[in-house]
Amino acid sequence: MKRVVVFAAVLALLGGLVLMTEPIVPDVQKLAAFIPPSIGPYVSEADQTFDAESIFDYIDGAGEVYRSYNMKLLVARRFHKDGKPDIVVDLFDMGSPEDAFGVFTHDLDGEGAGVGQGSNYKAGLLSFWKDRYFGSVFAEEETAETKGLVLELGRRIARAIPKEGPKPKLLSYLPAEGLVADRVCYFHNHSVLNYHFFVADRDILLLEQTASAVLAPYTTVGGKSYLLVVGFPDEAKAAQAYGSFAKNYMPDAKKSGIVRTEDKRWTASAKAGDIVIVVFNADSDQFAMNQLASVQELIEAANKK
Amino acid sequence: MSGKMITRRDFLKVASVAPLAGAFLPALKGAAAGPAEKVKVVLVRDPNALDASGAPNAEVVQRMLDDAVCALLDERDAVKAWKTLIRPEDIVGIKTNAWGKLPTTSQVEQAVKRRVMDAGVAEDKLSVDDRGVLRNPIFQNATALINARPARTHQWSGMGSCIKNYIMFVPQPSAYHGDTCADLATIWNLPIVKGKTRLNILVMFNPLFHMIGTQQYNKDFTWEYKGLIVSRDPVAADTTGLRVLEAKRREHFKDDGLLKPTPHHIQLADTRHHLGVSDPNRIELVKLGFDEGILI
Repeated sequence: MKRVVVFAAVLALLGGLVLMTEPIVPDVQKLAAFIPPSIGPYVSEADQTFDAESIFDYIDGAGEVYRSYNMKLLVARRFHKDGKPDIVVDLFDMGSPEDAFGVFTHDLDGEGAGVGQGSNYKAGLLSFWKDRYFGSVFAEEETAETKGLVLELGRRIARAIPKEGPKPKLLSYLPAEGLVADRVCYFHNHSVLNYHFFVADRDILLLEQTASAVLAPYTTVGGKSYLLVVGFPDEAKAAQAYGSFAKNYMPDAKKSGIVRTEDKRWTASAKAGDIVIVVFNADSDQFAMNQLASVQELIEAANKK
Repeated sequence: MSGKMITRRDFLKVASVAPLAGAFLPALKGAAAGPAEKVKVVLVRDPNALDASGAPNAEVVQRMLDDAVCALLDERDAVKAWKTLIRPEDIVGIKTNAWGKLPTTSQVEQAVKRRVMDAGVAEDKLSVDDRGVLRNPIFQNATALINARPARTHQWSGMGSCIKNYIMFVPQPSAYHGDTCADLATIWNLPIVKGKTRLNILVMFNPLFHMIGTQQYNKDFTWEYKGLIVSRDPVAADTTGLRVLEAKRREHFKDDGLLKPTPHHIQLADTRHHLGVSDPNRIELVKLGFDEGILI
């Protein structure tokens, strides 16, 4: 009898966990339903649907950008009107709000468009994110009419997505002073890190697609500095990554964790639990060390909550 | 020499496989000079390469290709030049690029096809293909390949290059996407292509110098360069095309012009895989045609 009760309790616990962590099931119909069937005088053609394997059939190797953010589904819908440039909507289910935010940060050029939780418009292209969805609306030729329709399509899609989602927790570890907040990037691998700020051909920080990282530019007296904050799955992996970075990038720092580089700037690194922090291009050793200390304080404060 | 400082980030960009420790300071003092032999690349441009609608002018394209091949091979006659590249008994695959927004163009394909046939190859012994090469009997049995593709930026490899054009010769292209396509040159060692490429043509009629969004192509980031880059060496051809793209980016964006991601597969094709030459100092660049806006 006792064994049955324990078994029932375990089942109940497991059931509770299942409810607490409701699985996100990518749903083509749900995703497609966020996109209106027509816009202005344009009508849509048949949808195309892709997952993380078949995306190469749609955009070849460029699909790696979206795969690096763990994309789950893509619905592509083309809008056509005879005599007018086509408009294409690519709406991604990225599986999590963090990755929807991340893929949005891959290209931050453009002007804010007030769509979803973050958006940019440039040269006929609107990019935006909301909840776990990332949207791209593109006019094959930018005209006053297509710009208006692109923005309206984006607004209608964003309104159809019922709720907002959280940004990555790592963002809360970034000190506010000097932060160029609208240029912060979030990612999981060294190829994307190098895209934004080249560190090394090899993955010397061991990001390996299992880590999460934010790269934040800071305006300083002497120019631009970068702060990299990387969250690893556990402390052991963070220690390994910290050692790898120190060995490969700043062996001349010895154990001090800070070095003056060839361009007379400073690079400093530290580890805090399962997080590795690196300051690049600081204009003084004091600034670099202060940045590290500020991040560590923010991490400690968050851990106490 | 610009006297640009080499930083540890530069060092870690040059295909490094070893940690900085111990190797860093000596490396900054300058690398040893390589072999003196130069490879030839021909850049040919014609103001009439494109018509008023932007479509390639077939007659002009043929002349540009002929001039380039003659200059490349030091021959006066185009057919004679092609006969040094292709034998009548060859089975010839013309590897094109079918990306709809910026293809190789039928004009280039036809110009190549015509000269391959002039070299004595029967029409049923040659084929023009891109995505179907692995299933195409001509390519399966090819003894010679002509590689022709447009130059453009690429969101993952940095540049759509001659080297990259052979990715369709593998059943799973994504297997070569690691480290933003760093080792694409290894494809050139596969039996289906190894040692078969007789000519590389990088089409520079209206290159794409910047990409945005999922659709990647935006006409605003193309310009009418009206050129072809031709070489026996795919790495040297790509290196030259890359110089043009970066020069255009410097002009347009007023920055360092460097592509993102870095198209390091081109340099690595030389330094790691020895497919060809990526050092501009080891490339003999022959310029034909008009100079205006040549950029390099």
